[in-house]
Amino acid sequence: MRSRGPRNRMYAMKDGTPRVERYRRKRKGKSPLVLNLAPMIDVTFLLLIFFSVTTTFRKAEGFLAAKLPRDAGRPVVAMPITPIIVRIEPADVGFGGYQLRVDHFVNAPATAGELVAFLRDIHEQPGFSNETPVVLAATPDVAWDHVVACWNAALRANCKNISFGRQ
Amino acid sequence: MLRKREKSSITFNMAPMIDVVFLLIIFFMLVSTFASAENIPMEIPNPERSLAENVKIVDRVVINCRTTQTGDKEDESAKAVYSIGPNRPESLESISKRLAAAHRANPKLKVIIRADKRLRYEYVRAVMSVVAENEIEDMSLVAHVAGLDE
Repeated sequence: MRSRGPRNRMYAMKDGTPRVERYRRKRKGKSPLVLNLAPMIDVTFLLLIFFSVTTTFRKAEGFLAAKLPRDAGRPVVAMPITPIIVRIEPADVGFGGYQLRVDHFVNAPATAGELVAFLRDIHEQPGFSNETPVVLAATPDVAWDHVVACWNAALRANCKNISFGRQ
Repeated sequence: MLRKREKSSITFNMAPMIDVVFLLIIFFMLVSTFASAENIPMEIPNPERSLAENVKIVDRVVINCRTTQTGDKEDESAKAVYSIGPNRPESLESISKRLAAAHRANPKLKVIIRADKRLRYEYVRAVMSVVAENEIEDMSLVAHVAGLDE
């Protein structure tokens, strides 16, 4: 068996006085508290990979409210008010473009952006208001994008009665 | 006697990496919105200063109108492909029957028309006619919501 060595140590000081010093055993150091981070990092990486793989950046979608007439759009009675009929047609020049025509008005707006100001001006004229029906009559070959752009323009002009018409 | 020097063990400082990873996770969690299965990928109209609102519509039926056109180049022969929500493509007659049944079951039914922006108006018009024939008045058109820069 291995001896543990002397418990006390004796030595003389400079003036010859003997001194006994208790032998200090080295105290066993307490092991520091270690947090095992590995499982947390595993889960965190899994979450990161999941989100980075599943995320696709897309522009948010929303809804433009519209009302459809009952009875499949067939008018039951004649409309007492003359509606503002905006005709959306394919452009004569260019590819995929469109042009606008407004019945009974000479200066037609060129784009949906200009249609906003145009409709607001009409509302100021006597006999018209934002309650005046606006009919968007598009030709069958116009792209849906342009029709929606005009619908949005009419909403921006604060038109209350907007509907789709046939060209 | 010279004391033997203790070898220092190599340790990685993980703190900055965990910081970055957590930041990334928080970013993805905040920006992610789980796309509805009804929203089949297609090019949605993006009007200037869109007034489209991202509101929750209950009792709704989404009619997807896709185009067979590929790319931005206008294709005269492109046709429309209709489907209700994420379901398989079907004809307008079939959609009309299903709409009629759904409207009988729920008179408050709202129809959302989600059409590709490149689609010719005649194809979307045909869907609107089907909706009107079934005496469903409430309809919504899908467009992109205005960005922060607009």
